[in-house]
Amino acid sequence: MIRLLIPAIGLVLFFLEPVFGLFSPLHLGDDYYYVVPRFLLMYLIFVSIYYSRKQAVLYGLFFGLLYDVFFIDIIGLYSFLYPMLCLMAAEAVKSIQQNLLVTTALTIGLIALFEFVLYQFFVLISLTSMPLPVFLETRLVPTVMTNFVFLIMLGWVFRSAILPRLTERDKLPGLYL
Amino acid sequence: MSQLFSNKRLILLLLGVILLVALISFSLRDRANVSLPEQIIKDVVGAGQTVFSRPAHVVTGIFDNVDSLLNTYEENRHLKTRLEEFAGVQAEVKDLRSENAELREVVGKQEDLREYNPIQATVIARNPDQWEEKIILDKGTDSGVTQNMAVLTARGLVGKVILATPSTSTVELVSTQDPNYRVSAMVLGKQQDVFGLIEGYDAERRELLLKRIDADIDIQEGDQVVSSGLGGIFPKGIVIGKITEVTIDEFGLTKLAYVKPAADFNMLNHVMIADRTMPEVDTADNGQTEEDGS
Repeated sequence: MIRLLIPAIGLVLFFLEPVFGLFSPLHLGDDYYYVVPRFLLMYLIFVSIYYSRKQAVLYGLFFGLLYDVFFIDIIGLYSFLYPMLCLMAAEAVKSIQQNLLVTTALTIGLIALFEFVLYQFFVLISLTSMPLPVFLETRLVPTVMTNFVFLIMLGWVFRSAILPRLTERDKLPGLYL
Repeated sequence: MSQLFSNKRLILLLLGVILLVALISFSLRDRANVSLPEQIIKDVVGAGQTVFSRPAHVVTGIFDNVDSLLNTYEENRHLKTRLEEFAGVQAEVKDLRSENAELREVVGKQEDLREYNPIQATVIARNPDQWEEKIILDKGTDSGVTQNMAVLTARGLVGKVILATPSTSTVELVSTQDPNYRVSAMVLGKQQDVFGLIEGYDAERRELLLKRIDADIDIQEGDQVVSSGLGGIFPKGIVIGKITEVTIDEFGLTKLAYVKPAADFNMLNHVMIADRTMPEVDTADNGQTEEDGS
């Protein structure tokens, strides 16, 4: 039962994202700032780093597909990018020191990359005509900042939820690897 | 060995990219119907999403209530000044309504473009990445929702249904950048009504563009824009917004007006889907509205 905890947290985060999305765009002064919650992606990157790359990729594929079908009706966008970022995170920690600080920084970097790739894609299919400086100012910076705050609050929760599962996994290697 | 492994990986990656492009191009086509697996996923995820968005709506509801409680005094004073005016207007409306009904009976015309059955729906999710302006509602074809129906709040038009599954429906807001998104509208003028099309959204001004207005007809800032019902699907008379600026369009042949939307797209909780009583016409409305207007 306890082994279902990792996908269960993912599912809860998946459903929480659009609820937080209801509050956006934030209206401050004369400007609107778009804040996009990326809880699930951050969690998946943590799973990829601390737990198992393969599982993170599989969950990424699954949740990405749900996201694609339910929200954006472009199948293959998130279901490609989620696993891709999990793989990149796993590759990156191979060569650098692994602690919570580094993981947090890496996660934030990948979130920024993710936002940028999405922006480029939507410009490519001419779904948005937002110029690059406007994108940086009203979307990328607020999004990265709020997700960073969220990660500071919940990064260690993620890790402490994942790490006990790790010892469990090592006891039953055949089941998870 | 390692060379072989990386080759295998490369092939896998390439196959993945090809699959991705194929899937994206498949799903970017204008699809009238959702495929069955998509419908199932949408309905299941929609059910789960409802569980999470209910408490969220309760919380935002509490905040709204507190907010309106704080403004009570101010509001009350404002409303009292409007009350007398309101009584007069109400009497006039009643009179006009009965007169309208009588005249209708005389002409023998029963159907009205204005009439619609409202379907109440709750917003269960908003596309969290916010690139496309979409919201998802908890009512679907089981409740009588079909594609292209108008979606409105008490303040005005919000968008239209673009996809409907048995228990959810996806709404594209009027503030979309989609060039194919059109709403046939009219300006309520002093002497006559002026017809045009809502086409496009200025993201910087956060205003809608009303295009293809006859250049000879005079329209002014502050005029109200409502849906004309001539597109074949929307009911007539749904408030869209107010004109803030009138200019000439890029070809210099017709006028272009900026319309400030009446509805607020930011915090949408409860909306109405307008199911028009009059039979819907299944044609595109390109150019049609202008002919009718002149």
